[in-house]
Amino acid sequence: MANHDIDITVSRGTVHALVGENGAGKSTLMKILYGMQKPDEGTIAVDGEQVSFGNPGDAIARGIGMVHQHFMLADYLTVLENVVLGSEKLYGIGDRARARIREISDAYGLGVRPDAMVEDLGVADRQRVEILKVLYRGARTLILDEPTAVLVPQEVDALFDNLRELKAEGLTVIFISHKLGEVLSVADEITVIRRGTTVGTADPAHTTTKQLAELMVGSELPSPETRESTVTDVPMLTVDDLRLTATDPDGVVRAVLDGVSFTIHKGEVLGIAGVEGNGQSELVDAIMGMRPLDTGVLTLDGADISRTATRKRREGGMAVIPEDRHRHGLLLEAPLWENRILGHVTERPNSKGAFLDLKAARADTERIVREYDVRTPGIEVTAASLSGGNQQKLIVGREMSHSPRLLIAAHPTRGVDVGAQAQIWDQIREARREGLAVLLISADLDELIGLSDTLRVMYRGRLVADADPATITPEELGSAMTGAAGGHLAAPAGADDTRAVNDPDGGEDR
Amino acid sequence: MRRVSKFAVACTVTAALAFTATACGDSSTEDTGSDKDQMKIGMAYDVGGRGDNSFNDSAARGLDKAKAEFDAETKELTAKSGETPADRETRLQSLAEGGFNPVVAVGFAYKDAIDKIAPKYPDVSFGLVDSVAEAKNVANIVFTEEQGSYLAGVAAALKSKDGQIGFIGGVDLPLIKKFAAGFQQGVLETNPKAKVQIQYLSTGSDLSGFGSPDKGKAAAKGMLDKGADVVFAAAGGSGAGSIEAVAGKPGAWSIGVDSDQAKDPALSKYAATILTSVVKNVDAGVYDLSKSVHDGKPLTGTQAYSLAKDGVSLTTTGDHLKDIQAKLDEAKKKIVDGTIKVKTTL
Amino acid sequence: MKKFDKERLLLGIAAPLLAIVVAFLVTALVLAATGKAPFNAFGIMFDYGLKADSQVYILNKGTTYYLAGLAVAVGFRMNLFNIGVDGQYRLAAFFAAALGGALTLPGALQIPLIILTAMIVGAMWAGIAGVLKVTRGVSEVVSTIMLNAIATAIIGYLLQQGRLGHLDEAGTKISTTPLPESSRFFEFPTTPTPVWGFIVVAVVAGVAYWFALARTRFGFDLRTVGQSGSAAEASGVDVKKMVVTSMLISGAMAGLIGMPTLLNDSFEYSGDFPVGIGFTGIAIALLGRNHPVGIALGALLWAFLERGTGKLEFEGYDKEIVGVIQGVIVLCVVIAYEVVRRYGLKRQQSKVGAELAAQAARNSDQQEVSA
Repeated sequence: MANHDIDITVSRGTVHALVGENGAGKSTLMKILYGMQKPDEGTIAVDGEQVSFGNPGDAIARGIGMVHQHFMLADYLTVLENVVLGSEKLYGIGDRARARIREISDAYGLGVRPDAMVEDLGVADRQRVEILKVLYRGARTLILDEPTAVLVPQEVDALFDNLRELKAEGLTVIFISHKLGEVLSVADEITVIRRGTTVGTADPAHTTTKQLAELMVGSELPSPETRESTVTDVPMLTVDDLRLTATDPDGVVRAVLDGVSFTIHKGEVLGIAGVEGNGQSELVDAIMGMRPLDTGVLTLDGADISRTATRKRREGGMAVIPEDRHRHGLLLEAPLWENRILGHVTERPNSKGAFLDLKAARADTERIVREYDVRTPGIEVTAASLSGGNQQKLIVGREMSHSPRLLIAAHPTRGVDVGAQAQIWDQIREARREGLAVLLISADLDELIGLSDTLRVMYRGRLVADADPATITPEELGSAMTGAAGGHLAAPAGADDTRAVNDPDGGEDR
Repeated sequence: MRRVSKFAVACTVTAALAFTATACGDSSTEDTGSDKDQMKIGMAYDVGGRGDNSFNDSAARGLDKAKAEFDAETKELTAKSGETPADRETRLQSLAEGGFNPVVAVGFAYKDAIDKIAPKYPDVSFGLVDSVAEAKNVANIVFTEEQGSYLAGVAAALKSKDGQIGFIGGVDLPLIKKFAAGFQQGVLETNPKAKVQIQYLSTGSDLSGFGSPDKGKAAAKGMLDKGADVVFAAAGGSGAGSIEAVAGKPGAWSIGVDSDQAKDPALSKYAATILTSVVKNVDAGVYDLSKSVHDGKPLTGTQAYSLAKDGVSLTTTGDHLKDIQAKLDEAKKKIVDGTIKVKTTL
Repeated sequence: MKKFDKERLLLGIAAPLLAIVVAFLVTALVLAATGKAPFNAFGIMFDYGLKADSQVYILNKGTTYYLAGLAVAVGFRMNLFNIGVDGQYRLAAFFAAALGGALTLPGALQIPLIILTAMIVGAMWAGIAGVLKVTRGVSEVVSTIMLNAIATAIIGYLLQQGRLGHLDEAGTKISTTPLPESSRFFEFPTTPTPVWGFIVVAVVAGVAYWFALARTRFGFDLRTVGQSGSAAEASGVDVKKMVVTSMLISGAMAGLIGMPTLLNDSFEYSGDFPVGIGFTGIAIALLGRNHPVGIALGALLWAFLERGTGKLEFEGYDKEIVGVIQGVIVLCVVIAYEVVRRYGLKRQQSKVGAELAAQAARNSDQQEVSA
């Protein structure tokens, strides 16, 4: 269940910010508001009138428009063509439309040239085209999904000026973000969402980023704190000076991982904290062998696996709970028993020699379904027909069934209901007791602090800070994740001052 | 579950209904309802069939003539591209089975099919155009394309100012090479200093060279640019492009093929530059076979439609050949009496 | 549990059946629009198609089509669109025919040699596209289409007198040297015409295809890549290697397509060797849902329709009508599969939800299953 008991009131002519961690339910809420998803219960009212949106068209008709995080523009069309596309009936496709675009652009200071080719525009200009597109369709309420994520600071300021113009003209803006500083500078009201529910509202005039952060991550510490340490001094996985580069569409080679070094011992859970997109996925890919390393050495239980194929690494005891289970962990249209074979086709009980052992694989799937409490009517149903939590339980069961030595768990409980979440946590803890080494990557700070024996913070492809989960607070971790703090995050790093020692090299195992 | 079953059952029932509704009329033997007295001529065309403005059409003209003259019933079937030998056999068999006599197979592709089918129907006369089969009841209607082309070569050599002559073949098939061989020989034996450029528009099983006027035009342009002033295109429909290109160069001549292209409605505007056309009288072959069957004395064996029998000839539309007619007649005479042997391969 | 299998089977059959029925209805409309009685036409086709010699024809032709369908299906199972089956089989048949004509070994040696040559040539030709895809990112659709054209040109070049060609007496037909009698494949002595022995090879190929896909590790990897490239990579499949391997297999299978014609019918490769069967194979693989049995039914249906055309043309119908039926069937199949697939998936999801709810109610368990 992504969202429950969300209460939010947005006043006309204001900028209303919606803040929350990744996965807190912001996007689901916004999809509901824009008619892309239907709420199971509850109501939405616009101007006091109760409405129900079956699709985005209904929302637009009610004057609600959305600017997506990923722009939806056709590169090889002009701005004019992009704007009129799908709304040809409003002002035609010719001069009338051009005039209207100029009018809107001038009214809100957007500075959009109707005849420019979209492919020639920069990111900020494209964003303004998106905003104009929504206004052109008559929107009076704009939803902006993480609009600043793609902008540099100067562009952010310009965007905020535009938003203030819109507000001055009586339009309403719903602004979704997790960048607290920005939120405080532009919003008139703030609603905080955590774990799919509204946890409070804040007045930006009387709130600090710290208070907001506390609201965002919640002050409760994670449930069962089994702190008895199972950490041994036998290294299971060592990562030494890992560097990985990628070429972005402009042809610029960029390091996505740089100088990453750490060691996970048997029985140890190493947690990696970080805002998404700072290199965590790449780290997982590199350890799994899906991307060749530029430099660096990987050692699994004493054996150098830097150049080993993914399949060999998996056979060698590497288990993976992938970040995106639909893309990397499951065959959605295949039955459960085939999904049980996935990733372990060369291992028993799935195969004997070159041939599959369907009978044994089926039987073992039944066992996983039973032992890991996968709620399904049978093992012949497709993976797609299971709920997210049950899909995840199946994956955990599968990965745990091959006596792994290292478990890579990326967001293991994302999108999973509370019951399944606790279960998965228990399973990870239990395996840890038996000597499993775990690399845990999560956006859920409670999960990270609760499960990890050691914590590292990843920022722009580097491990910039380390912390002791026994003493660290989510707020401190959160500020390190934004790059504001580095080095060893010592316990209470000053009650009022969340800024810790800025020492990028201090926290790395060299 | 139940809904699915219903769904599937509905489909099955619909299908079954559709199938049974059509499976009426349970006849096991072929009832052709043939009228003993009426003549029935069956034609199996090559790919393209009637209306290809070329080879098949020429055969169709012969059929039309026979049909009118003998009040015959006709049946025309056409080959598809991508056929197997079995498809051609089926086609001939269904015609023979249907009481058609003669059955004419147009094109050398039918050779193997004739070999298999003809012996099974000894009472039916088969015609095979452009190839030679062994069976006794087959008339092999073959043409001496090289002889007609030789004459065209003589004409080209005499009309060319500096002996630069071009030959455009549609596809590099042996049949087209016969044209090329005869043409080149005719040119060189008339003017040993002349030069013949030979170009094919496509190769092997890619038959596009017979139907691409643009390719014909480009090839002809290239030859004209290199100084050629007479271009012979034995390239089916592609020839139109060549004729058009040649008409654009003052003093240059084109030579057509298969039918009198100066009389072709689409090309008659270029008639002033069409020197002549090498005509292959397939219609005569088809007509002769039909007539022989009608008269009860069916032709068999190889029927060579040679220059001597006017099976191949040059057209004289526009009288462009008048000044050299004497030399052409002399060459023709030498071919007919065997003084000149025309090669069939280059 | 088994009922899900049964349901799948029903849904699997429903789609092609639906497509065929719709296709016939559309054709009936077309026929009616041209002023001909539609059911009479179908009557002629079915009457004629069920005769003994028609059955033999359908089996023989179906053998070729079946192999074509399999060759395409191997690629399809991997999400590879091997358009080049056409060029692959022609090139393969050409070289096999040339080799077969040049040798005079005992049949027991020469026939396998010819077949092996064809498979290797086909595999190599398809392999080029596979290697280009993994090393240079060239879409296999583009490269195989181009390789088709190149294959045509190579055959055109080599099938000349003085190279590998051989001119007949009439001087009009050029072909490879005919195979010796000993290299002809056996036939089943059925009346009135024999059924080609190569049908046995086709059946073996079908069984091998099924077994490899459903029962081996390799087949599992191949299907995984086809269903989700990202999941396959994460699960340890070397996707690049699989691309090349499956192109090789698809090409080797394509090499077999020309064999029934070569070894049972023409015994030589000439300019009129059938072309375009690779494209027919695409339609048949679609029709048969890449399933070995489905492909067999598709191949037989296709052959049946072609058999019917000849008769329809003979009866004075436009021969293009079967082209219309075939085209409409393919269109309908693509649509019907997607409709049925979505329907099936949705149904299963809601059914699973319902069953779980019932289960939960029975156990009076407080645990709730999330949506």
